[in-house]
Amino acid sequence: MNSHEKLQNADAFEGTERELTAMTRELDDAHHDVGMPAMWQGVEQMIDGLQSHSKNASSRRTFLMGAGASLAGGAALIGAGLPSLAGASTRSSKSASASKLAFPPANLKGDLVVAAVAASLENLAVFAYTAGLGAATAGKLGMVPPAVATFATVVRAQHAQHAAAWNAVLKSHGKARVTVTNPKLTPVVQKDFAKVTDITGLAKLALTLETIAAETYQVETSNLKSRAAVELAASIEPVEMQHIAILYYVLGQYPGVQTSAGVPLAFSPTNQAA
Amino acid sequence: MNTDPSALASLLEESQDLQADALRPTSEALEELIEQHRESSDEDPTTRATFHDEHRNALAASLRNAPLLSAAGGLALIGALASPAAAATSKDVQILQTAASIENLAVATYKAALSLPYIGGSSANGVITAFARTTMSQHAQHTAAFNAAIRRLKGRVQTKPDPAFVPVVNKAVGSLSGMSDAAATLAVVGLALELENIAAETYVKNTSLVDATSNRGLFASIMGVEAQHVSVLLAVQALLSAGAPQLIALSPTTVSSLPAIAGKVGFPNPFYKTNQAAPASQGAVK
Repeated sequence: MNSHEKLQNADAFEGTERELTAMTRELDDAHHDVGMPAMWQGVEQMIDGLQSHSKNASSRRTFLMGAGASLAGGAALIGAGLPSLAGASTRSSKSASASKLAFPPANLKGDLVVAAVAASLENLAVFAYTAGLGAATAGKLGMVPPAVATFATVVRAQHAQHAAAWNAVLKSHGKARVTVTNPKLTPVVQKDFAKVTDITGLAKLALTLETIAAETYQVETSNLKSRAAVELAASIEPVEMQHIAILYYVLGQYPGVQTSAGVPLAFSPTNQAA
Repeated sequence: MNTDPSALASLLEESQDLQADALRPTSEALEELIEQHRESSDEDPTTRATFHDEHRNALAASLRNAPLLSAAGGLALIGALASPAAAATSKDVQILQTAASIENLAVATYKAALSLPYIGGSSANGVITAFARTTMSQHAQHTAAFNAAIRRLKGRVQTKPDPAFVPVVNKAVGSLSGMSDAAATLAVVGLALELENIAAETYVKNTSLVDATSNRGLFASIMGVEAQHVSVLLAVQALLSAGAPQLIALSPTTVSSLPAIAGKVGFPNPFYKTNQAAPASQGAVK
């Protein structure tokens, strides 16, 4: 049956689903066969690269958050089993000492600061998609298209893998894993998420988060010192950009980076970088 | 279909003006690139020889991994493409020239595709046509940016397409005759997908290969755009393969009709791979 015949066939969509499932399964298989080992090899290379570089690393510009910024808005999420956003906002440790609240941690320097903040951004994305899926499951967002649910589930997993990669780097240097969401952006996301009542609103919030992440990685590829760190950041930025493309498609807009007026851009801007 | 090609055309015209604003940071980055290059332009012979050796090895690896090239017998090109002439120019200039050659090929490919009735004609899907036009324009802008960087570094601008991929594209385009419109559309999408992925992977890799920090910024500002092209083409390819071209539409209501699997086909890997990246000096001017 050719494609034209399928369109005229009332049962074509069932076949479509099967074919798409098969295609995606192949992609998944290829990903696990090739992508993951390659990814972890890349992380290991980054670890080696950072270890040689960090000997000369000096305390440099802060990235995203000034050192000493309060963790008050941050949400400890990974170890806590992904609490809801509302619950997360109450999890700030008021009894913790000021030094423990500092983010990025004061004992991090150079590229490790970037690793910590990148992990916090990825954690925030994981948290937001988890909250979105929770709200959808609870019926708070109206009708949820199957493709949107799949998108949120897979994208959340990819952000978790990104966070794991940056945390592997931190761990290799004897530093604590970053298990909090980004302190600066978390309150903003919480506030915006509270206003979300449908899939369109959720997609727009996700678009903002993905844009911040992508543009931040784009900026950091020029700021990072070790080659391995550049490679890791550069391997993640295009994936966030792909998330953005699909989110625009979900919203019915041109599926690519664009101005606020919807004009496609040939060069990704950085005005929303964290 | 709910798409509005005329609105998209209007947006594209507007983009020509607004793109100048987006290019401004790139121009500033290029200025910095020049200054940094002047400091490092006197690379020692050992550095260049090492780069040349790495290029030759990368070329062999890339050709093994690219399906299109393998099909075209591209391994035979290694000797010709890895000639010592390329080693006479600085590393950053060669990398920029290769990038420009990939962009030139992309522009030529989309231009040829748009001349086909099922891509650029009245019978074509409006979204695919608009995407092809927009993407061709974006690749032309990428070429201009890379060549501007080359020119300011006193290098020779690259006006030709990547030599390794030209015969492959020609062969693919030649094979379209005799195909049904649906099959030919799918073949064109497949060709564009592979070119876009090569571009994206090449630029991801180049961010860590170039010496100038500002040059990293230039590649970083483009690699994600190419990755978005890949994402769109993956989705289009899946929908065409499944016989659902009516779902290739820009409308907020389209998503409700998409099958669940369509939600993840556009981003198959959590980390962008580089095993199909073009060797850094493959498109260097000789």
